[in-house]
Amino acid sequence: MDNSDMRSILKCVRCGTCRSICPVFDVVGWESSSSRGRMLVAHGVSQGMDVDQGVFDSLNTCTTCGLCEQMCPSGASPVKVIENVRHQLVLQGKMTEAQRSLRSEAIEKGNPLGEIKDRMAWLGDSGRDLAKKADYVFFAGCLGSYRYPELTKRTFEILKSFGVTVLEEEVCCGSPLLRTGSDPSELISNNLQQIKNTGAHTIITGCAGCYTALKNDYPGNLDVVHVTEFLADRLAELGLKKLDLKVTYHDPCHLGRCNGVFDAPRQIIMSVCDLEEMRNNRERSKCCGAGGGVLKGYPELSLDISKKRLEEIPKDVDYLVTACPLCRTNLKRGDPGIEVLDIIDLLEMAMK
Amino acid sequence: MQKSDLLEKLQQIVGKEMVTTSAAELYCYSCDASQVRGMPDIVVRPVSTEQVSRIVRLAYDNGIPVTPRGAGTGLAGGSVPIEGGIVVDMSSMNRLLEMDLDNLQVVVEPGIVQEKLNEALEPYGFFFPPDPGSSAMCTLGGLIANNGSGMRSVKYGTTRNYVLGLEVVLADGTVINTGSKTTKSVAGYSLTDLFVGSEGTLGVITGAVLKVRALPKERSVLLASFENPELAGKAVVKVLSSGMIPSACEILDRNIIEAINTYDPNIGLPRAGAILLFEVDGTENTVREGIEMIKEACSSLASSIRAASDKKERDEIWAARRLVGAAVSRLDPLRTRVYVGEDIGVPIKELPGMLHKVSEISKEFSMPIMTYGHIGDGNLHTGMCIDVLDEKEWDKLNMAADKIHRTAIEVGGTVTAEHGVGSARAEYMGLELGKGLDVMILIKKALDPKGILNPGKMGV
Ligand SMILES: Cc1cc2nc3c(=O)[nH]c(=O)nc-3n(C[C@H](O)[C@H](O)[C@H](O)COP(=O)(O)OP(=O)(O)OC[C@H]3O[C@@H](n4cnc5c(N)ncnc54)[C@H](O)[C@@H]3O)c2cc1C
Ligand code: SF4
Ligand code: SF4
Repeated sequence: MDNSDMRSILKCVRCGTCRSICPVFDVVGWESSSSRGRMLVAHGVSQGMDVDQGVFDSLNTCTTCGLCEQMCPSGASPVKVIENVRHQLVLQGKMTEAQRSLRSEAIEKGNPLGEIKDRMAWLGDSGRDLAKKADYVFFAGCLGSYRYPELTKRTFEILKSFGVTVLEEEVCCGSPLLRTGSDPSELISNNLQQIKNTGAHTIITGCAGCYTALKNDYPGNLDVVHVTEFLADRLAELGLKKLDLKVTYHDPCHLGRCNGVFDAPRQIIMSVCDLEEMRNNRERSKCCGAGGGVLKGYPELSLDISKKRLEEIPKDVDYLVTACPLCRTNLKRGDPGIEVLDIIDLLEMAMK
Repeated sequence: MQKSDLLEKLQQIVGKEMVTTSAAELYCYSCDASQVRGMPDIVVRPVSTEQVSRIVRLAYDNGIPVTPRGAGTGLAGGSVPIEGGIVVDMSSMNRLLEMDLDNLQVVVEPGIVQEKLNEALEPYGFFFPPDPGSSAMCTLGGLIANNGSGMRSVKYGTTRNYVLGLEVVLADGTVINTGSKTTKSVAGYSLTDLFVGSEGTLGVITGAVLKVRALPKERSVLLASFENPELAGKAVVKVLSSGMIPSACEILDRNIIEAINTYDPNIGLPRAGAILLFEVDGTENTVREGIEMIKEACSSLASSIRAASDKKERDEIWAARRLVGAAVSRLDPLRTRVYVGEDIGVPIKELPGMLHKVSEISKEFSMPIMTYGHIGDGNLHTGMCIDVLDEKEWDKLNMAADKIHRTAIEVGGTVTAEHGVGSARAEYMGLELGKGLDVMILIKKALDPKGILNPGKMGV
């Protein structure tokens, strides 16, 4: 552990502010599952504590939602510390089966899901006469490509009308590896080269995980926008009608709190129907439970966190809307009793 | 008793999921927000009084130390198991058992976080007044065990004033109930008062009957700026002796003002040598009158006085003030706030003098000391930030803290007005309490003859 990591750990005054808001602690209840606990475990590890299952269960159950960092009075950065310690341990070969499998699948198959099918199959007939060069390129992401291919195709149909293209052979953005301590540089350089080939100045994505990876972890300060940001600026051109609906919106942590994209999704929603906020929203929004490798490594915990988040849905709304396929997947798992939509689904209802 | 036997016995009481000996977990329970450290052998999370009673009985039979713990936000090492043994984490006993609002009371388990109780009360127009800076994270059990208080104690008093009765598990596992549901009762010694503030050394609190109050209709906040803290201290004496009791009266010195402005740039507090924040609550008339009285009392001493413009500004100021103790760490990336020597209290009249002495101590040890706190009840928080990797700074910090403690006692004050003694301040008990400490030791022996309850704390 280098000096700056140590300094970051020592910034923590153990005030417990994060303990009372960490969505994981809320479910688990043991001190080691709060961010204060994780800071302590990180400290312990730096002092030579044996890396056993207890250490993994503490460090690896963080969804990297960033709420603790947002609320920490003393300016500590728990998420950075946790990701760094995960990385240090992986470098020493210390990791869980879930981490290992995310890494090998992503590196060998180009996606952490282990899919071997053609990634670009979602394009279908939209792939015809695609421009090789464009100012904007759409990054579909692994979940978009394999789990929500139709939504991804429809999203791209809208974007294509604004002259957007796609990468030829996109691979995983690297987010799952970044969050769980593995080295994504192969994936990153592969995507970077392809982005360069398109000549695009801006990358558009519909996934919060891809968004933060491309924006904050790729070298070269790329211009990255979320689909909602891109479309919010072009609403007038979409010919929208007003729907007689009321929806609520879940802020994906890695889009909202971590990158400040709060307004664009709301602007889209409010231009097509009524919005009623969840109890905790915007900067204070609570995590869906899926991020940081938690859905993969701790599916039951992840489900419990999702259920807690769903308790915040206001009464009498027609849909729960979100803007990230991972959040959507996990919120659905929690069985909210109403449909969980991607914001593009909602937009399309108003376009028809 | 072998650790494995203890583990098995505890598992039988609370179930496998609620007890642990994992090294990572134990490490997380080896500290609170103070500098005190101690490694537990085992941590258990009971969910009922019966479980607590059986755990304590088991410990009693085998002479194993038991340290109760709430949220571990204490600033004196109270919940740190300095002699090892069992840590009993009470935060899973967190039910609000009864809201008896016609009788202005609630019945709670000790693990409820203070703010959660107030969230539940607010829709009915009531509140539980003791409001420590840590109200968003500390438990009611910890608050009762420490007799904590906060910004509004100048008007509303400390936690003690709101505890009507307690359910307590004694050292041998016996469960007793103290107090009653009546607002007044003189039946017997006030055992409730004995357990409030006993920091887990006399029994484990498993339930409480708490008094609540109706929320005031109006609140108003006034900010008065001064050239230096001493002038602010004089203004406080003047306000309080005018007969006006504000619902909060806080002092912020120059560095604290900067820390608040850094933590939340929206607030933009005026730059000054010191600021007093006054809050007045009540009806529209009493608030208006109170604000006028404070303005009048401060007018000859303050360099400027202004009211917070609206509820939003007021809430932002209080939210930032609550957490400023930790937020001072933001002022310098290399320094971290260390809670040592941070909680003295002095008689109101001694305030200006004590503030002056604090600045002299700061100079003597070349240790910047930031001052803030509940000046309305004589409670000053003296905040020091050091490079925690530098041994020499620790020495200076400890020497400065020692001098602050001794000076407070000399002027008739206390080493801890609200954060508690724990083990961090245990060494000053003889000096501050004199023969009173002998009586405390007698009480401790009578209630905990084997000395298993939170050993090494409070000087007993
Ligand atoms: C940023 C910050 C601001 C703070 N501001 C204030 C303030 O304004 N005013 C104030 O008074 N304090 C303040 N504190 C100190 C601390 O929050 C309080 O002392 C609080 O009451 C401790 O509650 P806890 O649940 O964290 O208890 P812990 O720290 O876990 O325990 C405190 C003590 O209570 C005992 N205890 C806990 N639960 C029980 C139980 N059920 N039965 C018996 N004993 C028990 C423990 O053994 C220990 O001795 C602050 C702390 C921080 C970090
Ligand atoms: S909020 Fe910040 S300082 Fe407080 S315990 Fe958490 S990480 Fe540490
Ligand atoms: S990032 Fe989220 S899940 Fe991780 S420790 Fe912080 S609050 Fe908990």
